[in-house]
Amino acid sequence: MFNNLIFIILFMLGFYALVMKTNLIKNVIGLNIMEAAVFFWVISFSDIGGEVSIHKLGEKAAKFNDPVPQALTLTGIVIGASTAALLLTLIIELNKFSGTIDRDKIEGLND
Amino acid sequence: MNKLMKKTLSSVVLLGAAAALYQNFALMPNYQGLNEGLSNYIIKSGLTDTGSLNLITAVLYDYRAFDSLGESTVIFGAVSGIVLILSRKMLPVSSKGLSFIVKRTLGIMIPFIALFGLYIMTHGHLTPGGGFQGGVILAAISIIFSIVYGSAFDYRRYSPQTKTVLETGGAMIFLGLGLAGILLEGAFLKNLGFLTVETGTLISAGSIPYINIGVGFKVGAGLAIIFYSMIQKTFEEDF
Repeated sequence: MFNNLIFIILFMLGFYALVMKTNLIKNVIGLNIMEAAVFFWVISFSDIGGEVSIHKLGEKAAKFNDPVPQALTLTGIVIGASTAALLLTLIIELNKFSGTIDRDKIEGLND
Repeated sequence: MNKLMKKTLSSVVLLGAAAALYQNFALMPNYQGLNEGLSNYIIKSGLTDTGSLNLITAVLYDYRAFDSLGESTVIFGAVSGIVLILSRKMLPVSSKGLSFIVKRTLGIMIPFIALFGLYIMTHGHLTPGGGFQGGVILAAISIIFSIVYGSAFDYRRYSPQTKTVLETGGAMIFLGLGLAGILLEGAFLKNLGFLTVETGTLISAGSIPYINIGVGFKVGAGLAIIFYSMIQKTFEEDF
């Protein structure tokens, strides 16, 4: 039950940063916190108290944790890093173009 | 006052959403994924199917290898977009670097960092790790070069052309192993089982170690390119 609570707190923190902050870099940070919350929840959800899902030579483990959510989380982490890098690049370019990274103060995009 | 009202309103909305989420979680059944189905099959016969001790690597590079190919294509797309947006000039803008002590200390440490990255990359089927993780450690070397020794040093030692060749080469290794799967085993990215010598040694698990090496170089070079194209613009005003 604790993992659900922590997931909700982290997810809502990230969502708050995404919605309420006007600094675009803080928005990216909020998006990453939301991602981290989802990954944490998927991993903790699949933990049934078994061993790490790696065989040891010569001995047979009684119970393994589920390997599939871990593999999917690895995929998600890589995608998250790529999108964060692309977003930060766009913010750098926006700063050069309009001189600000505050999304309420951007001007001149209509031209 | 307007800002305070906005904050209060959004906090109330977020708290309501959190309460709704919590209610939904309370209604969910407990986890029972291992009783039957996919995960149980992988745990039972993953070792005999793929020869990989690490079941997560078995899922990533054997059962879902096509998915990993798409994943590295996403990295390639991100790198292409960043380079397209940021690099209008290819000349490096040098930072001065840090002090003499830091430079000498990292000069001793960098070979060991490289060795650790290669170890994580090649032992992905035996221990925790794999291509993505080892590649990130290798990209850290390029970042250390840029920060500690200045980006001109990084340009000389490990030029953008080299990084491009490494990234394309990694993708080519991955695709080539996929085509070899078609030719020799009959399906795209099927595991080449005849490459296994003995399960549990370094050369085992068919084509998984080679895919790991390709993915590692691809990810490492890709992240190094991303960092390099970001830093040469950010430091431009200072020097």
